Amino acid sequence: MRRHRNPALLFLAPFLTVFAAFYLAPVLYAIYLSLFIRRRVGIGPAKEVFGGLTNYLRAVQDTDFLNGLKNMFMFGVIQVPIMLGLAIALALLLDQSRGVFMKVCRTAFFMPYGIPTAIGALIWGYLYSPNLSPFNQVMGALHAGVINFLSPEVILFSIANIVTWTWTGYNMVTLFAALQNIPRELYEAARVDGATRWDIVRTIKIPLLMPTLKLLFIFSVIGTSQLFTEAFVLRPLGYVADNITPNLYLYLTAARDANYSYAGAMAILLALLIFVISGPLLRQIGSR
Amino acid sequence: MSHFTICRSFPRFCPFRNFSVALLAGVLVGLPLSTVSAQEAYKTPDYSKFPAESGPITLEVWTWVAGLDKAAALFEQAYPDIKVHVNNVGAGPAEYQKLQTALKAGSGGPDVVQIEYDFLPSFIVTDGLLDMAKYGANDAKSYFVPWTWGQVSPDGKTVYGIPQDSGPMALLYNKKIFDQYGLTVPTTWDEFAQQAEKLAQGSGGKVKMADFYTTNAPWMMGLVWATDGKYFKTSGDTWIQTLNGPESEKVLTYWDGLIKKKLVATIPGFTAEFYNAVGAGQIAASVEAAWGPGVTAATLNDRTAGEWRVAPLPQWSKDQPFRSGNWGGSCNAVTKQSKHPKAATLFSVWLNTAKGPVMNNWNSYGIFPTALAGLASPDLNQPDKDPSKFCGGQNVAEVYSQASNAVDVDFAWAPWFAFVNDNFNKQIEALIGGNATPKQALDAWQNESIKNAKGDGYEVKEK
Repeated sequence: MRRHRNPALLFLAPFLTVFAAFYLAPVLYAIYLSLFIRRRVGIGPAKEVFGGLTNYLRAVQDTDFLNGLKNMFMFGVIQVPIMLGLAIALALLLDQSRGVFMKVCRTAFFMPYGIPTAIGALIWGYLYSPNLSPFNQVMGALHAGVINFLSPEVILFSIANIVTWTWTGYNMVTLFAALQNIPRELYEAARVDGATRWDIVRTIKIPLLMPTLKLLFIFSVIGTSQLFTEAFVLRPLGYVADNITPNLYLYLTAARDANYSYAGAMAILLALLIFVISGPLLRQIGSR
Repeated sequence: MSHFTICRSFPRFCPFRNFSVALLAGVLVGLPLSTVSAQEAYKTPDYSKFPAESGPITLEVWTWVAGLDKAAALFEQAYPDIKVHVNNVGAGPAEYQKLQTALKAGSGGPDVVQIEYDFLPSFIVTDGLLDMAKYGANDAKSYFVPWTWGQVSPDGKTVYGIPQDSGPMALLYNKKIFDQYGLTVPTTWDEFAQQAEKLAQGSGGKVKMADFYTTNAPWMMGLVWATDGKYFKTSGDTWIQTLNGPESEKVLTYWDGLIKKKLVATIPGFTAEFYNAVGAGQIAASVEAAWGPGVTAATLNDRTAGEWRVAPLPQWSKDQPFRSGNWGGSCNAVTKQSKHPKAATLFSVWLNTAKGPVMNNWNSYGIFPTALAGLASPDLNQPDKDPSKFCGGQNVAEVYSQASNAVDVDFAWAPWFAFVNDNFNKQIEALIGGNATPKQALDAWQNESIKNAKGDGYEVKEK
């Protein structure tokens, strides 16, 4: 046994080193930082003193942080099903079609994923500008009124739209690849049994897509918890709330307000929350 | 006549003789000669009072100011032992977030860093900046516009930066639009509102008189500054914050009235949306800081060039002493991480007082000087260069110099200003959306900012 363990460690060492240095260490450092609070005497520089769980208590009472989490949940509940639903529909359509058209469509749908998020958000920011927006120009011409895509009531949906635009293609390609792996004999057998196309979709394709779909769902949930870039890029264009996503809120707490300890505490809480949500789902996939 | 007295005492070898004649001629001929003498009198501090460390030195400088590398090259010529590495790490918040991180990390920061006055206190309390008074910075004090020195040395003793530029405010207006609709240049806010009504009627509401910058708190704060309002103070060991004072309410209520009547636009500043509206002639005027015309000219890329003029900031009443406020402007600070604090101090002082860099900064980049000699220099006026060129060759610097003289000295900021700055956007959104009155918006701004400051451990009181 001993002879086997050592080579394993040796092979794992490069990964473990990097994992420890760039993953574990920052997490541990964040936990360490989160235990400190700032004491100020008068108007001079602050002293960092041990504060125990003070920052955590502050976070669970911080309505801005909690509303950020609420935004995140709302986003997840609305955007993730829309995106995955679209991805399934497109993947099934592509699976039905053949030839050049299919290839062109596949590339076209996938392309937004190849554009860096910041660039994509900049382009959308222009499309969302109230007076410059081509959408609003068309609607104005039709006397249909204009939408302020950047207004507080709409902005979360505007961000959801960017995310959907970016990620639907990626999800579609993954599902499409899974569809290609389904043995063709199953379809043949079904057709011999008199199944319609819709029957095949319902009883063969979708059930066999479920493992992939579950994985994509988990990725999407985790992605939702990490939303940052789109909101950050849209900020200079108008009023975007600090807590539109929890990640933006804790970034501003750290980098703008220089309160690294409090940001660390919120980051740990956010990570725990996602762990609790995605853990059972992951276990279900692993046990399949 | 005093020179005659002197020369009578020393009839033959009067050393003042030629000088006296020149002086007399100057008085008689007037302006041209006084211009010449002002040029000769460009006063700079005695730089030998700021000795650098010996040996070859390289200073790392963080800034976003375009053309600062050119000014730094002039410095390298004057001080061959010191090399300056200018690093553009992004404007405003982009730089601050990097600086804040470097200060927290304990290394990786620059020697000299560009910081706006309103953000300076947040770096003082993180203990990241050097007190330049230790290296003789107070010797440079008398060479700067007093209120700008007050921004870098709030207590009059410690010095956390050398002022580089300032943003006294004035009214930038499009003369072509004003002529087209027969508007007169307003000198009071009442007149401003009347002309706005006239413009709205004449243009059928298509052209707005101005823009209320909904996401630039320091813009409105500058207008409140011009109304003699103050936001932050220290009293002993406590901070005092008053974002919702009567002056703030006066300013915001006035602009809210214009917004509700649809006389002014509410487009966030520095966006494609804003410059597009300005370039398309949909906005007739804008309250702009001294750096504003230069930025506007550069962004519009010669569109509407020559159509603009600058007029003094409208006043609340004709009888009051003339007042302006400040929006933006920045200084060069030295970090505690610097291994060459003396050289860094010398560079900061030289950069902002020597004639070469001061003139270069205004005439190519619209960086409005804080050096008294720079402001007095006739070379500041270059009609064929922006920002004057953008304003039809007008002496833009003169209008802003006058504004600079009318800026209140005792205006201070607080370390949590970055939060205050962002929270403003939230409250103005509520105001414009009809969900808050000016008073409610200001109260919410005050309360949420105080709550945040207290959460971060500051002792803050209201009023």
